[in-house]
Amino acid sequence: MDRRDFLKVGGAGLATTMMGTGILSWTPRAEAATISKTYYINDGTRTMPDGVSVYFKSFGDSPSALSLPASHIICQEGDTLSITVINRLLKTHNFVIGGLKAGDPPLASTGNIASGATGKITYTIPAGKAGSYMFYDNVTSYNRFLGLHGGLAIMPSGSSTTLYAGSPTFKANKQLFWILNDIDPALHNAVRLNTTIPSTFTPRYFTINGLSSRPPGATSHGEPLIDALYDPRSKLSGSVGDRTLLRMLNAGMCSHSVHTHANHMEWLTNNGTVRPSVWKKDSLYLRNNLGKIDAIFPFAPPPDAYPPVTTGHFPMHLHDEMSQTAGGGLYQFGAMTEIEFH
Amino acid sequence: MGMNDGGGGGMGQACYVYPGTPATPGRVTPDVSFSRGIYMNGSMLMDDGRSVTIWGFTDLAAGGGGGMGGGGGAFPSPAIRVTEGQIVHTSLTVNMMWMHTIHHHGIEPSMENDGVGHFSHDVTGGTYTYQWKASNAGTYFYHCHTNTPLHAEMGMYGGLIIDPKPLATDPVGTKRAFKNGPIYDVEAIWACDEIDPAWHTLDWAAATCGGDAGLNNLNPKYFIITGVDGANSALTAMAVNMRVGQTALVRYICAGFHPQKIDFGGLTVSVVASDGRPLPAAWSTKSIEASSAERYDCIIKPTTTGSYTVTVQFIHWITGKVMGTARTRINVT
Ligand SMILES: [Cu+2]
Ligand SMILES: [Cu+2]
Repeated sequence: MDRRDFLKVGGAGLATTMMGTGILSWTPRAEAATISKTYYINDGTRTMPDGVSVYFKSFGDSPSALSLPASHIICQEGDTLSITVINRLLKTHNFVIGGLKAGDPPLASTGNIASGATGKITYTIPAGKAGSYMFYDNVTSYNRFLGLHGGLAIMPSGSSTTLYAGSPTFKANKQLFWILNDIDPALHNAVRLNTTIPSTFTPRYFTINGLSSRPPGATSHGEPLIDALYDPRSKLSGSVGDRTLLRMLNAGMCSHSVHTHANHMEWLTNNGTVRPSVWKKDSLYLRNNLGKIDAIFPFAPPPDAYPPVTTGHFPMHLHDEMSQTAGGGLYQFGAMTEIEFH
Repeated sequence: MGMNDGGGGGMGQACYVYPGTPATPGRVTPDVSFSRGIYMNGSMLMDDGRSVTIWGFTDLAAGGGGGMGGGGGAFPSPAIRVTEGQIVHTSLTVNMMWMHTIHHHGIEPSMENDGVGHFSHDVTGGTYTYQWKASNAGTYFYHCHTNTPLHAEMGMYGGLIIDPKPLATDPVGTKRAFKNGPIYDVEAIWACDEIDPAWHTLDWAAATCGGDAGLNNLNPKYFIITGVDGANSALTAMAVNMRVGQTALVRYICAGFHPQKIDFGGLTVSVVASDGRPLPAAWSTKSIEASSAERYDCIIKPTTTGSYTVTVQFIHWITGKVMGTARTRINVT
């Protein structure tokens, strides 16, 4: 279907409450706005769950701090994106907003940004472009894996509860990005040392929104800046009825199976294309290299609980279980987060 | 095997302070119950003459293994089959040498009964009874969720089917995929999985305390269908034999970790359900691409006789290359 057929006139601006950091909060506007954002292409290191330090590049919020992934942008159809990208590294980079559907041309791009130079995107979003997008560096095929990626959410004009005009609804301010990446330190080292890029990859670390999980009993379990289980950008937290939109983006090199416990997901889109009908799935095939899925986690009471329950904590994990490890072991220190019914 | 036999699982220790096993909350008398032990020294004979160590669950009610874990057992583990609406008990007994769980994949119970090792709780040195209600008819599977990359790869899984309640208007013995769903005559469960023998010599707790056991890197050499080598043996052992005019229900389970593509040998199948939920409209296709743990319920009504070779390609999660193929057949007479 053509989403344009379902466009509604904006203007029913609803008062919404700002949520904690990380949740994609959104207040629809009657008028289009200009959304300005500056990213700094920078680098640095992060310590992996097994103590190994790995080099990353990012679209940072500040000149020096790594942002893995980049801070998201949320806007609405009709808005103008005004994005400034400052390259603080020695190599040439770029900033590309990928198209909505697989095979679509990019939405916008800065073109190449030489070392020390600044790139700009000024782009007014036409109607019919609501959906989930990834922005990334594609100067090389592997720059994205190094951390140069992030999420862009374009809301339908005037809506805070739909993915696209006429879509199944979620609760206002209940939406998350789950951005997955797979890390082969040999690649990251080669980039850092300017040596030959490996021809094959074997990732050893797996992240959701830049973090790996720390299971109960492990050091740093429950620390929101370290433990992916408790990262507010990732954790699914709600009460019964808090239908939450999941914008899943695969920045990495591995295809994944995204598996939720406690509820089946309502599967809305695959690689930017609206599915012909909504299937209820506990496991979803998220393709590698820019795969995208939008789904709603309904926060219904877990249907098979006896006696019935409305609270509890459950995992979301990838079912390709290699991704649940760090450094070849350390099960449950991989790409996983928590689903909390409260 | 005696109770002190460490079997293939080794005697290593897991790390971290894992949550302890609670009593089953709100325990009631179930409508149906299953009693599972574990085995840690089973094996599977491959078509090339080699055998690979397999771990799994035993049926204690049938006298399997005594639950002490040293011996062998069926692979896949004995199926759990219940009827929609039933309250189910699955009890798991594990001795103190190991930790395991049962996660009923796709079943969504309370957290205590979800069987997620290291997260809710593991079972060791005793018995835990998972209590859950079979709310939605369809195809599921159960598997161990302790050090899951290893334990699921080692074979700790079995089928889990929820049949719909019989309709009063149906003749006795009528089989349906789900409530008011299609009627079938012949049924097959194809759990398609890959085996990397290099993983099958590891300790049960391998690398849970750190260290590199290679659990990020699965390089399978064998490709199997429901515990049978897909090189040749599954062509006959797992074949569906049916007549023109009959309806088959193939329950396809992607039981491996890498993505798969199943091709039905030219036959068009009607996918009526996935992951234990009916689809809003049946999907007609000749092939399905699936990721780990997805299930697809496929209705097949061949109109011509023949022997159709079904292939399951196992696709590398990074390169997309086909690592191997398992084969079986649909023989229509
Ligand atoms: Cu186990
Ligand atoms: Cu599972």
